[in-house]
Amino acid sequence: MKAPFSAYLTKIAPGLKELVRELAGHYDYVSILSSDSRGFAVRVSQHAKTVSGRTMTTERGHVVRVRQDGLYSEYAFNEFDPAKIGETARDIMSTIDRQLSLLKAGGTPVYETAVLPDEPCTLFVEMETGTLPEETDFDALISKLTGISDAVVRTGDDMLECQVVAQSTHISKMFLTKNRDLRQSYVYSEGMAAPVASKNGRNEMSYAAVSGRKGPELFDDLKAKAEEAARVVRELLDADRVTPGEYDVITSPEVTGLIAHEAFGHGVEMDMFVKNRALGAEYIDKRVGSDLVTMHEGALCADSVTGYAFDDEGTLAGDVTEIDHGILKTGICDALSAMRLGIAPTGNGKRENFEHKVYTRMTNTMFDSGTNTLDEMIVSISYGYLLMGMQSGMEDPKHWGIQCMIERGYEIRDGRLTGRVVAPVCMTGYVPDLLGQISMVSTDREVFGSGGCGKGHKEWVKVADGGPYLKTKVRLG
Amino acid sequence: MLDTILRLVKASGADAWEVTESVTEGWEFYFIKHRLDQNRAKKTTHTTVRLFRTLSDGKGIGSASEEIPPTETEEETEKRIRELMKRASYAENPYYTLRKKDGRTQEAIAELPDVKKMAGDFLETMREIPENEVTDLNSYEIFADVSRIRFLNSEGIDLTYVRPSSMLEVVVNARNKEHEIELYRIYRSGGCDRDSIRKALAETMQFGRDRLEAVPMPKLVSSPVVFSTEETREIGSFFINRMLASYKVRGYSDWEIGKPVFDGRMETPVTVEALKELPNSSGNAAYDAEGAPVRDAVLIDRGVPKQFVGDRQFSCYLGLEDSFIPGNFRISGGLCDAGELRTGDFLEAVEFSDFQVDPLSGNLGGEIRLAYWHHDGIVTPVTGGSISGSMLSLAPAMKMSKELRQYNNMELPAVIRLEQVSVTGITQI
Repeated sequence: MKAPFSAYLTKIAPGLKELVRELAGHYDYVSILSSDSRGFAVRVSQHAKTVSGRTMTTERGHVVRVRQDGLYSEYAFNEFDPAKIGETARDIMSTIDRQLSLLKAGGTPVYETAVLPDEPCTLFVEMETGTLPEETDFDALISKLTGISDAVVRTGDDMLECQVVAQSTHISKMFLTKNRDLRQSYVYSEGMAAPVASKNGRNEMSYAAVSGRKGPELFDDLKAKAEEAARVVRELLDADRVTPGEYDVITSPEVTGLIAHEAFGHGVEMDMFVKNRALGAEYIDKRVGSDLVTMHEGALCADSVTGYAFDDEGTLAGDVTEIDHGILKTGICDALSAMRLGIAPTGNGKRENFEHKVYTRMTNTMFDSGTNTLDEMIVSISYGYLLMGMQSGMEDPKHWGIQCMIERGYEIRDGRLTGRVVAPVCMTGYVPDLLGQISMVSTDREVFGSGGCGKGHKEWVKVADGGPYLKTKVRLG
Repeated sequence: MLDTILRLVKASGADAWEVTESVTEGWEFYFIKHRLDQNRAKKTTHTTVRLFRTLSDGKGIGSASEEIPPTETEEETEKRIRELMKRASYAENPYYTLRKKDGRTQEAIAELPDVKKMAGDFLETMREIPENEVTDLNSYEIFADVSRIRFLNSEGIDLTYVRPSSMLEVVVNARNKEHEIELYRIYRSGGCDRDSIRKALAETMQFGRDRLEAVPMPKLVSSPVVFSTEETREIGSFFINRMLASYKVRGYSDWEIGKPVFDGRMETPVTVEALKELPNSSGNAAYDAEGAPVRDAVLIDRGVPKQFVGDRQFSCYLGLEDSFIPGNFRISGGLCDAGELRTGDFLEAVEFSDFQVDPLSGNLGGEIRLAYWHHDGIVTPVTGGSISGSMLSLAPAMKMSKELRQYNNMELPAVIRLEQVSVTGITQI
């Protein structure tokens, strides 16, 4: 079935277009992004059950972007009455004027930016979904999640808790300018099971997740994920610490995705090029990885949680080849940064929600597959680790340092897994070294879209990443 | 709109309810160098409704919550509330009650701060930050928000409070002939504290200059590590989390009231307090999100747990009738001056990619961007490599300075020292 576009946005579209016309008399660029995204988050554990209508992306509101004297200004609001267009326009203009008077009093210079193009375009996309979040049978869903949590906890006295989460959001967004009318709707869902076990005073948690541009039918896959996480959390309880040092490693598709995200995800967000904050700007058409490294970025790369039709600035979704056989080709870019750099935007202008600014953000960041099998990769290692499970990561685009907190590593000796587990593992390195030493790439590939990504330590958006198994050399601690 | 929502909620048949309305005005300014990249403003109203149903003959209670958009029609809101009533009946929890109106009078509502003044103070402060050829500001973002929050529930609570909050994100560059590096900072607070910002950025710029001279981290295997920057928050949070009612109920915390933590093995027993107010903290509020008055409280006194705190549901499960969700904390108990913690060979780590302490497992770790390696009386700035360990094994020997330092809503020892932390270095000593 199609995910229907918001009736509310459809109803107020004429009024918003009138607001664009009204403001266009005062500014040389006007756009409005309106969102009406509803959803739910159900959390079930042994000690609490909650049902909330809030997910990371639920919202209803509008943001107006205008340009005057080379400066772009924005005004976000969530009360709109089509009968009071003039009043709304005056409120927007007077607020922006008050801000500008404060800036002028301090003699603040402006980073002038040209007028964004406004090529005529009409788009109406209702993407396919299995079911809709608003039609969910909550009785059945909560029973299902409760059964999963109970089953995991029943596996042993060491299992303290198992939180199971199911979230689904029905997104509707509308982008309007004088010449553009873009509307899209889609549903994405994500589920997660996180068992917590304890042994001799040591607590450990693991998690396994499912996600996709699907409806709540996705949660049928959660039971198997919970069983997997329960097995892993017991491994963590008995895990050793890794001896600090440099090792040959194989990264699982989840860890591969984390590397993609931190290494040449953030590193080639081109709003950082505008601020001279990214080393990547100096490496276009230069080698940054081995011949086996090819990486793509874009909303069109995968049917994931971030597989939209257009971004939050009305740029159509894309698929960018960032690294081609080890050579950095380009980055990703929002519309304003693209204007400043003199390039075309790539469809990566995203906001946390209508109340937040657009930045260049990732969508799907993916390594391409290769020709090896996982078994071949394990056999090739005399001493090292198979790294699995991601916890968090942090990049340093200015220096290409990378930090990945990884859940666990499985020891490999003489081409075989020994059964010994180390956890947690802090993987660090210099991105070109890490990518330059990739010597084997598996044929399979997975996409992961649970969780979110911040810019610095704020501005949380949905992203996805992934790829195949990779063999490389890194520092572990 | 709020009146309509309240009328519909009261008529819904819910056994209990909570309604929270937050009206926010925000001003934001984004700079590249000192040129204005973009200005933004927002004016929003968010109203969240939570409905409760008593279930299983009074042994259970279920709830469901949702935001009601201000643009919704009465019919749409009525339908949404009916749906919430259905959802609440499926999410059954052990029974607990909402906080009741007590004899205490509503605190006087503070005057709504002027968002223009807040933003203006930040603009002026940032214009005056000293810069030179070696260290300067790459970019910065100013966020000034003022929210007026009204909370009502079915038990007679109807209170209003004001919450100013601000955030300043700053990227500092430092450069020499060979290369340029950056340092990232994010400061959250109530309003603009010029002196604190100036001091913090002066310290950051010094770190930048030192990082330019830094050499790769030596392979130390393990070392005492001194923390003297905001990473102390992560260490402090480990203790705070274990005193949350939710952690206790879920079994994540095995700490007990009156029983010394770590079996009394802490060389420097820690004291943890919840505070109603800290100067210029964004956590300052007269009430918590569930209408409970916020107050000062000792959670751990010199290594001995005194009381758990937290949200209404988990506090009730622990039998804590008068609990609350704290907005500010103080960690203390240090017996030494900061200088006494900087003795012998040690690593003082001041810049990380992302230092984390997992509150559940106690595992800690992070990649070091700048540390000072103190060895045989010589101090060498070092970079790269990482540290790791577990608070479960490191906390008993943890030492804290008597001096405290505030980071937004937490006041902590200015210096914390952990012994025998695992270090992944790069070069042989």
